[in-house]
Amino acid sequence: MTVVEARNLVKDYTTNGLTVPALRGISLSFEQGEFAAIAGPSGSGKSTFLHLVGCLDVPSSGEIRIEGTDVSTLSRKELAFLRRQKIGFIFQAYNLIPVLTALENVSFPLTLLGVDRKEAKRMAEEALAAVGLEGMGNRRPKEMSGGQQQRVAIARALVKRPSLMLADEPTANLDSKTGAEILELMLSLNRTLGTTFLFSTHDRMVMEYARRLVHLRDGIVEGEERKGEGQ
Amino acid sequence: MRPARLEREAKSSRHAFLKEIVSIAFRNLSRHRVKTVITTIGVAVSVALYIFMDAWLLGMNLDSRRNIVSYEIGAAKIQSQAYFEKKEDLPMYESFSNWKPIARALESAGYAAAPRMTFTGTLYSRSGSAPIVFHGVDPERERRVLRYMNYLEAGRFPKEGTYEIALGLLAAEKLKLDIPRKLTEEELTRLVEETARTPEEEAFIRGLYARQEPVFFLRQDVPRTELDRFWDLLVASGRNDARISTVIDIKEESGKIRHVYQVMEAKVVGIVNSPNPKTNGNVAFMPLDVLSGEEGLLLEDQVTEILVRAAGAKDSDLPGPKESPEAIEEALRRVGFSLPSSLRVYGWEEYVKDYIVAARGDNVTTRVMILLLFILSFLGIANTMLMAILERTKEIGMMRALGMTDGELVLSFMIEAGMIGLMGGIVGMILGSLANIPMVNHGIDYSAMAKQLSGDFGYRITALFRSAWNPGTIIGSGIVATLISALLSVPPTLRALKMPVTESLRFE
Repeated sequence: MTVVEARNLVKDYTTNGLTVPALRGISLSFEQGEFAAIAGPSGSGKSTFLHLVGCLDVPSSGEIRIEGTDVSTLSRKELAFLRRQKIGFIFQAYNLIPVLTALENVSFPLTLLGVDRKEAKRMAEEALAAVGLEGMGNRRPKEMSGGQQQRVAIARALVKRPSLMLADEPTANLDSKTGAEILELMLSLNRTLGTTFLFSTHDRMVMEYARRLVHLRDGIVEGEERKGEGQ
Repeated sequence: MRPARLEREAKSSRHAFLKEIVSIAFRNLSRHRVKTVITTIGVAVSVALYIFMDAWLLGMNLDSRRNIVSYEIGAAKIQSQAYFEKKEDLPMYESFSNWKPIARALESAGYAAAPRMTFTGTLYSRSGSAPIVFHGVDPERERRVLRYMNYLEAGRFPKEGTYEIALGLLAAEKLKLDIPRKLTEEELTRLVEETARTPEEEAFIRGLYARQEPVFFLRQDVPRTELDRFWDLLVASGRNDARISTVIDIKEESGKIRHVYQVMEAKVVGIVNSPNPKTNGNVAFMPLDVLSGEEGLLLEDQVTEILVRAAGAKDSDLPGPKESPEAIEEALRRVGFSLPSSLRVYGWEEYVKDYIVAARGDNVTTRVMILLLFILSFLGIANTMLMAILERTKEIGMMRALGMTDGELVLSFMIEAGMIGLMGGIVGMILGSLANIPMVNHGIDYSAMAKQLSGDFGYRITALFRSAWNPGTIIGSGIVATLISALLSVPPTLRALKMPVTESLRFE
């Protein structure tokens, strides 16, 4: 099943009357269970692409479909519900809620979805265990390392079983050992849960892990590589 | 799956969501403890002051109303329409006769009725003169309607059939018709010579005063019985004899007003000092019956008004529904009496415009002042929330990315700001109520200020300003503080929500 379908995506930014093109007509689609990375140097448009696919921003022109739904037809509120249900985000800066514990951060998306409190707690504990943070649910973000925070962020994104996981430079703030651990974790979750992962990165290690690699440069697709399983 | 369906599913657990955002709000407030405490104090002070001032105004108004009804007017007056229209001029020529059947009808309908003839004149004492408003009253009936005669500073209330006067305290002091409180040695000697008829009386009078160089003061510890004896000696000596000079206005059949000058010899037998300053100024009360004759005001049983109150009403009672003009007229009809067409029943409020203006003015002024204070403290909340929202722009972006809707985010910040308002409101309610306790139980003595203003500052209170409990305001101010605080978070939240999610996420 096609999870993401982008057609002729154009995004321009206007600053001080100056229009800068970020994406210049990109068409890409991603199937369920893909583990793909959008790679490219700074300013290539990879983050912009991820934001548009994640419905955090709107394209200047072009069309995005998430599981067949044309997102341009959705209201602001419907977009919020789409993100709530179908998309999980992992940010470079983790972006956890500082006043909540790890467990509460992870169970928060479930609360938004209306999952019963007890059930949400159980699912959050499971998600934390899946990212190797069993028993650390009561810690606040400031009491955790960068790697641990990123694991909490992954657990938070995964706990609601989204069809699409978007990770914007997920290893950028981590050392290479922790970065590799995080990537292993995401790959294993991709395999076991069948969740579609889409990264933006310029980290060679992430590129190596990706099963599909899309190269962007100056807002256009420069090339694409697909790797077979086990490579 | 269409997101609209998801919306319905999400709504099913609103309660858990609300619990979660309340918890987040509370933790955010704890995280910024100093800012929260300072803002809370601001709200608490405003709420406390509002409760305090409101209770004070309410207390003054309740006391004023009770004092107006119990000492000045009664619940209503019956007057001729012509008199009512010119009542500020006290037009005695618009008086009416045959008051007795009306009074009897009122009494049989369950009311107390007191006839009055009000006129102006000049009262001359040995020491000077003063313009006075005289009320000719039926002492017995007056006592059933009003209670000022229970507050005689000295002496007694005038008796029927005599030219005796009960004079307001301020006029008595001005005309030196009161009990002298401070005398020079010369004045004391003269007073003794004029008043004492025996050496024992001389010693008695001298014994009432204590020397405090260079003057003599009336001793504070003089018992009431000795003061009464002293007063009787003063009255018997002729010191309290006075002369009333007045102009009787008589309306002739042609409508022309004829003026007749009249002089009456009288004696001040009592000094009124009631809780209502209007009875203690340049006011005198004397028997109505003596005014009827040729040596009086040539009245032929005429009066300017009949004061009405429910029979047996207590001093502390405010007029009830039975005492409204309509109810009184209806009660008269029930006993088979109809007022002459020229007469009307007017409610007490019609006669106290000065008080109503003062009360309204103070009400507006005080509330405007408190409103400004409220605005200041709420600016504090607005600032706190603005800072909180600005600091958490990135967090807002992340919450939007997680799928929180604009409405949910607005609600979460409203709850956070509302909690500051609620805490400030509760503390303010407690502080305001605590400050009210002594004000309700003891009040503040403003007698010196009241005296300086000759008691004429609108409120009918002579000495003690006491607050009154107003549960509606106490609870209401807490609720309003919470609601306003919550609403103040809306503009900065909406502003933050205008920012694209991607920009919020990049915000540092």
